[in-house]
Amino acid sequence: MEQKIAIKVDDLTVAYNYKPVLWDIDLMVPEGVLMAIVGPNGAGKSTLIKAILGIIKPIAGSVTIYDKPYNKQRKLVAYVPQKGSVDWDFPTTAVDVVMMGTYGKLGWIKRPGQKEKKAALEALEKVGMLAFKNRQISQLSGGQQQRVFLARALVQNAAIYFMDEPFQGVDATTEIAIINILKELRKAGKTVVVVHHDLQTVPEYFDWVTFLNVKKIATGPVKEIFNDDNLTKTYGINYKVAVNK
Amino acid sequence: MNSPQIEIQLIAVVVAIACAIPGVFLVLRKMALISDAISHSILPGIVIGFFITQDLNSPLLILLAAITGVITVVLVEWIQKTGLVKEDTAIGLVFPALFSIGVILIAKNANDVHLDVDAVLLGELAFAPFDRLLLFGNDVGPKSLWVMGTILISTIVLLLLFFKELKVSTFDSGLSAALGISPVIMHYGLMSVSSVTVVGAFDAVGAILVVALMIAPAATAYLLTSDLKKMLWLAITFGSIAALGGYWVAHWLDASISGSISTVLGVIFLFVYLFAPRKGLISVLYRQKQQRTEVSLITFLLHLNNHSEERERHINHLQEHINWQKIRSKTVLDLALKNNMVTVTNNVVSLTKKGDEFTNLALEYIITNKDEKIEHMKDDFFLFRG
Repeated sequence: MEQKIAIKVDDLTVAYNYKPVLWDIDLMVPEGVLMAIVGPNGAGKSTLIKAILGIIKPIAGSVTIYDKPYNKQRKLVAYVPQKGSVDWDFPTTAVDVVMMGTYGKLGWIKRPGQKEKKAALEALEKVGMLAFKNRQISQLSGGQQQRVFLARALVQNAAIYFMDEPFQGVDATTEIAIINILKELRKAGKTVVVVHHDLQTVPEYFDWVTFLNVKKIATGPVKEIFNDDNLTKTYGINYKVAVNK
Repeated sequence: MNSPQIEIQLIAVVVAIACAIPGVFLVLRKMALISDAISHSILPGIVIGFFITQDLNSPLLILLAAITGVITVVLVEWIQKTGLVKEDTAIGLVFPALFSIGVILIAKNANDVHLDVDAVLLGELAFAPFDRLLLFGNDVGPKSLWVMGTILISTIVLLLLFFKELKVSTFDSGLSAALGISPVIMHYGLMSVSSVTVVGAFDAVGAILVVALMIAPAATAYLLTSDLKKMLWLAITFGSIAALGGYWVAHWLDASISGSISTVLGVIFLFVYLFAPRKGLISVLYRQKQQRTEVSLITFLLHLNNHSEERERHINHLQEHINWQKIRSKTVLDLALKNNMVTVTNNVVSLTKKGDEFTNLALEYIITNKDEKIEHMKDDFFLFRG
């Protein structure tokens, strides 16, 4: 059986002030994988996600989601930005933040109603945060904030999920809770792309991996390509990851 | 009250509300300074518009000035994007440049007409009722009330239509872009509304004080609530109170109305800054003191928990063991006694069952940082409120 391609990136180049941060990226992500994007700081991991989602305009190349450009497929995609990218002192509650996930399907002007609220509460329950639904978001711990963000992505009920460092600054309990949800998503046939930092956990959490350092180093199944050779090429130092031996 | 008095107050309230609404979003987007920049750099737009129309309330003048406001924002962002200077520097470069162009234009060409720098900077609400709007020969009220009324109604309509979009693009522009709600459109929409409001309001309250009306009500409301809708309502309320209060302070002192309104805004902010229930200065200081006491209490309970030997728990030795001053030790001991967490028999302190449970919960919280188990304790103890 031919596996469907969920995300296809062709010759993608992104530059800030004429300095390329992503250079000629080709990438194919098959449907239903749980993929980690790994690479050193400044490798362009977040930029790759943002360029796929049209948040940053590339200077060359193209992206398709199930064979169509992203702006035609928005409703198939959910996005979890880095937790640090927003102001958590913003005057709003956990459930309200989760409801924002429904805004895409609602479109302009239309207001969220009971249906959206119900979906938001269900998503909060899935991430174990229902008890905190009316808590002001600055009164949540870092891990709880990350779970609220995850719930916001779940409420989008998408086919593809992009997550920018969801494990950053969360405690072990939250990390386990998040990875369990990601695995459930994969089980349901969804595609999940995660910017990830902890190399040790790559083989345990993910089945697909992309090595990135401005250029794409390698992409494919973790079992085949997660090795010292690719790690060394990506990080530029002689890498020995014990887990692979 | 005579009719001009009522009209002045009405204009003041309408201006205050029209400013407070965009002000809330400017404050939340950390763009308070940009309103200051806009309020100054619209001057050349106003002057050029005035030369063309000879009318300070003409729609063309408002449009031209609003465009200058948006140009300000574009220029600031453009300079900032070069990466050579930071945003505040870019703002500091752009608005004096545009403002000075306006000042030179006035000085060269408008010496003999009703447009001077003082009028632009300070405005004069007291004169607003003299400038009437005539429709088919009938006097329908002061012109500025109609201008600001129109701006206010447009602002409210836009707010109601795009509340959701404003919220998500302000809170999380990345998600907003991914969802197809362009944060760029929302940004320039908000900038346009702010520019139009500033232009409309400058005639009444002046280009400088309009900033106070935009920022102060929103900043005050921010200290009081954690709900965006409530924040908008509070900002509108504070703006209106200051508009009316300022009018009567000016009446009483025989001083500038716009100056008095800004002063009242400042006083309201100061009051809220000191006394706000959660974010206010006094509440924060009190909470810090409570937290210190509670940390001491837990340290004390942990000490008791760790030591079964009586020597360590003897009341006279507690001081030297925990290394506290006498007063602090007594406060903490009293607090523990009051909450039935310890008992004292023969000058030896022992944990009660409740104290023991509390200590274990606290320990577990500190180690695992799990919130669920101590939810019920949060009302009694500040320490656990994160």
